[in-house]
Amino acid sequence: MQKSTIQFLLINCLLALVLFSCASVTKNYTPKKLDKTSYTVPYFSDSKTDYVYKTNISVYGNELSGIFIAKKINDTTHRIVFTTEFGNKLMDFEISETDFKVNSIVSELDRKILINTLKDDFRLLLKKEYLIQEQFENESSNIYKSADGKRDNYIFISKKDQKLEKIVQASKTKEKFTLTFSSENNIFAEKIQIVHKNIKLKIELNYFKSE
Amino acid sequence: MKTKIALLILFISGNLFAQEQKMTSAEIAQFKEDVNVVSKKIKTLSTDFVQYKHLDFLSKDIETSGKMVFKEPALLQWQYKKPYNYSIVFKNGKILINDEGKKSAVDIGNSKIFARINKLIIGSVSGNMFDDKEFSISYFKLKGQNLAKFIPKDATLKKYIKQIELTFDKEEATVVQVKLLESSEDYTRIVLKNKVINAKIDDSVFTN
Repeated sequence: MQKSTIQFLLINCLLALVLFSCASVTKNYTPKKLDKTSYTVPYFSDSKTDYVYKTNISVYGNELSGIFIAKKINDTTHRIVFTTEFGNKLMDFEISETDFKVNSIVSELDRKILINTLKDDFRLLLKKEYLIQEQFENESSNIYKSADGKRDNYIFISKKDQKLEKIVQASKTKEKFTLTFSSENNIFAEKIQIVHKNIKLKIELNYFKSE
Repeated sequence: MKTKIALLILFISGNLFAQEQKMTSAEIAQFKEDVNVVSKKIKTLSTDFVQYKHLDFLSKDIETSGKMVFKEPALLQWQYKKPYNYSIVFKNGKILINDEGKKSAVDIGNSKIFARINKLIIGSVSGNMFDDKEFSISYFKLKGQNLAKFIPKDATLKKYIKQIELTFDKEEATVVQVKLLESSEDYTRIVLKNKVINAKIDDSVFTN
């Protein structure tokens, strides 16, 4: 009797653990009825604007700083350039939801793993349209779930002022990386952070007005 | 018809004339001499600068500005003040960086490429780069100015810089503009102004 109880408890614990970790991404959110089926991101969408940010990248304890430039060059594609403060170009990409082209990269940064990581980061940063399948909420935000291949994106819109505050890309069980936005007017993000969970990579973008 | 062609040729060549005209070898010798005399006198130099980063796909150049201080033989501080604070000091084989208060240092004692960059910056600002064997140099005249174009010979350097153009004030024989071309479309243009030569500059300036 005692033995089977222990087994039962063990199984329960394991089950709970499995369920718990499976649901870890949304575990603190309350499901809610869908109030929209798509969401359009306001940032980076104006083809007339040069999006210029002072950038600090911290990767496994190494610090790299420079200038991040994004510009929408046609309906589907953004040009992304990262330069040093002196203006030397370190990377130059063209990126759309389906295509990715490296125009140039300095040999020191020409590593497949880095390029692929940045590709995923920037693609999410510049993504405009999300189709929504599920909706949740927590205390401060409405959370929209949007499928993205094998992964899901969770879009956090503040309840207070309807601003896009955060996008989390997650596998079925784990958060992969998070984009956090600070915006005054919900058209332009003055400050953006890209933080990875499984690798020590953090990218911070601070908008600067070139005078 | 003939007059039209003649006028057209005159117009085109006139235009070229107004922009750049190759120096004769006598003019080159004189120009180098003038610059060398001035740059030899430079013990310290401080100048304000405005940097324009031109990328062909942008609607506007990215403008940053600040101050540069140089002291013989190889102390250099390059300081951006607008729109952010970022300062870089070259000192005793080290690069000291202060990025909005976040400090870091890179030892360049053995890094050839950085030693070369250091030499390049000091050479660009003082103007004394003509003896550099690493470039092929061509010389031009402009209105009230002289222009020297440096093309790197070294393949590694060439990957970063396609060409350096130094513009000199004809009277003062000092550099007024540095242009670093990455490709035909993209370049960094640095305009130097309010230059002060040989004012007393304390070594403590070169801390970060």
